[in-house]
Amino acid sequence: MERRSLSAAILVHVAALLLLVVILAPVVWLFIMSISSTPDLIAKPLHWWPDTIDLSRYGVLLSSAVNSAGQAFVASLFNSLKVAGMATVAALVVAIPSAWAVSRTPSVGWSLYAVIATYMLPPVALAVPLYMALSWIGLLNNVFGLALVYLTILAPFTTWLLKSGFDSIPREIESAATMDGARLDQTLRLITLPLAAPVMATAALFAFLLAWDEFFYALLFTSDQQAKTLTVAIADLAGGRVSDYGLIATAGVLAALPPLLIGLFMQRALISGLTSGGVKG
Amino acid sequence: MSALELVNIRKRYGTVETLKGIELSLASGEFLVLLGSSGCGKSTLLNIIAGLAEASEGDVRIGDRSVTGVHPKNRDIAMVFQSYALYPNMSVARNIGFGLEMRNVPAAERTEAVEKTARILQIENLLGRKPSELSGGQRQRVAIGRALVRDPQIFLFDEPLSNLDAKLRMEMRTELKRLHQMLGTTIVYVTHDQIEAMTLATRIAVMRDGQIEQLATPDEIYNRPATRYVASFVGSPPMNMLDATVGNGVAHIDGSLSGILLPHDVQERAGKARNVIIGIRPESLSLVSGDGKGLTIDAKVEVVELTGPELVVTSTIGSQRLTASLPPRSTVTVGTPQRFSIDASALHVFDQATEKRM
Repeated sequence: MERRSLSAAILVHVAALLLLVVILAPVVWLFIMSISSTPDLIAKPLHWWPDTIDLSRYGVLLSSAVNSAGQAFVASLFNSLKVAGMATVAALVVAIPSAWAVSRTPSVGWSLYAVIATYMLPPVALAVPLYMALSWIGLLNNVFGLALVYLTILAPFTTWLLKSGFDSIPREIESAATMDGARLDQTLRLITLPLAAPVMATAALFAFLLAWDEFFYALLFTSDQQAKTLTVAIADLAGGRVSDYGLIATAGVLAALPPLLIGLFMQRALISGLTSGGVKG
Repeated sequence: MSALELVNIRKRYGTVETLKGIELSLASGEFLVLLGSSGCGKSTLLNIIAGLAEASEGDVRIGDRSVTGVHPKNRDIAMVFQSYALYPNMSVARNIGFGLEMRNVPAAERTEAVEKTARILQIENLLGRKPSELSGGQRQRVAIGRALVRDPQIFLFDEPLSNLDAKLRMEMRTELKRLHQMLGTTIVYVTHDQIEAMTLATRIAVMRDGQIEQLATPDEIYNRPATRYVASFVGSPPMNMLDATVGNGVAHIDGSLSGILLPHDVQERAGKARNVIIGIRPESLSLVSGDGKGLTIDAKVEVVELTGPELVVTSTIGSQRLTASLPPRSTVTVGTPQRFSIDASALHVFDQATEKRM
């Protein structure tokens, strides 16, 4: 290791620690809130660590009793999974061929920029047209309708990400496969897509997170348990006359779990470097 | 029967013409090297033969069959790419066998062919590995193996050795030569390395600005270059090019008082030309011994470099430079005038206006 003065070493470590605290503090506080008893949460001065640990809220939210907060929460959890899942899969299905096409045919690259340009519009500008369109095709308050709207957000972004992924796969490898007699579908299936797996996993993960966290459109286009997503359900918890901060925090913790699990599961795929060795270097 | 025939191949990108009417005919078993500096169109030409690019005009014929518009996989050719272009996600064995796999060759037959190819290239012990676990030279062998296993009519090589270090490049060069002699395949090979061209080729096509400057055997390219460009491109150190004015059978070197008495046959060929370029290969210069009969030239020695096998002497004649490759033990003193004798048979004369050989 290079020589470094003691003060510099301390400075670096303090900076790193500071970053860690800034990132983790809200999450930690969210978790503490979710397990604090109500008296602890409303005590003055605030109890940073609860006197009594209260896990009952987890039970409340995960209960399946009819008309309970739990039923609404679990329903919205599944809605979120459905919407985010469908939107992600659809986004990849749309993005993979178009990203490949743009990457291999630079002359049509402008079309991707045109798509990205629509991405610049603030969501509120599209809210009314989208609402009317959904209403016209009868997909308001419907998970499919919401997934369709999310697809319009996710597809440009995933296409962009995948294009740079395909760009990094040398064209010579595909040329070689062509010379070897592979049809286009064989080249893609056997060579290009396996090599693009890491970037596809990255795109899928980010697309899922984006759809999972989306609030604005979900709030506008859904109205009941049939299609309401988690973000809206959590907002509902805060919208009543009495806000149970502990319950909101618990919902937040539970809402964070699925993406976390997916992230852990895909970690292996996210590790890139699979293309090394095919070409020089 | 010609294995490959190119008829008036032209390639335009917008208004820029990168290939300007290439005509070429290749007999079966020939090793043709397309030699030229970058941007001369040699790689484009190779891609057109491969079918990865289409010519704007002209016809490509492989084995007397026009393949214009035919998909690369149906042209019965194999190509080795500059970057090797191995499939990183597949084992070496599958890399080599991929072409057969795509052509639905039965697995048993495929394995046998892969093993045979691996034996030829001495990479049997690597078949289970992934490309990332191979060294540069081994990857190169796998890339060649992938082409070899299919036993195509023509092999195309696109600067296959340019990514290897100097020592490995020499080894692989010899290896390629051995393979060609052993298998008797028809090869088209693109390179900008004149040593590779000279050693490997049965014929060399020197390309410049989308045209073939000269198509000939290595011996002819070296000893009877058709143009000044060919002469300066091949050979290391490069050929000396002295601007000179001819008068009364003597070529007066511009910018100096010295002249070279041209031999009779050269005089005849030069005819009435006044302004010429005298080309002299560094190795056809030697130190004058004895009374200095024959062709001689006087120059002032500027720099002396010992490369090991030879002594490279750079000297000046007026404002022009003259490089000589001498035996390593020659005694030359820096800063003094020196008389060199010229091998008369190795004198090249080019017309200054057309740059063509006279």
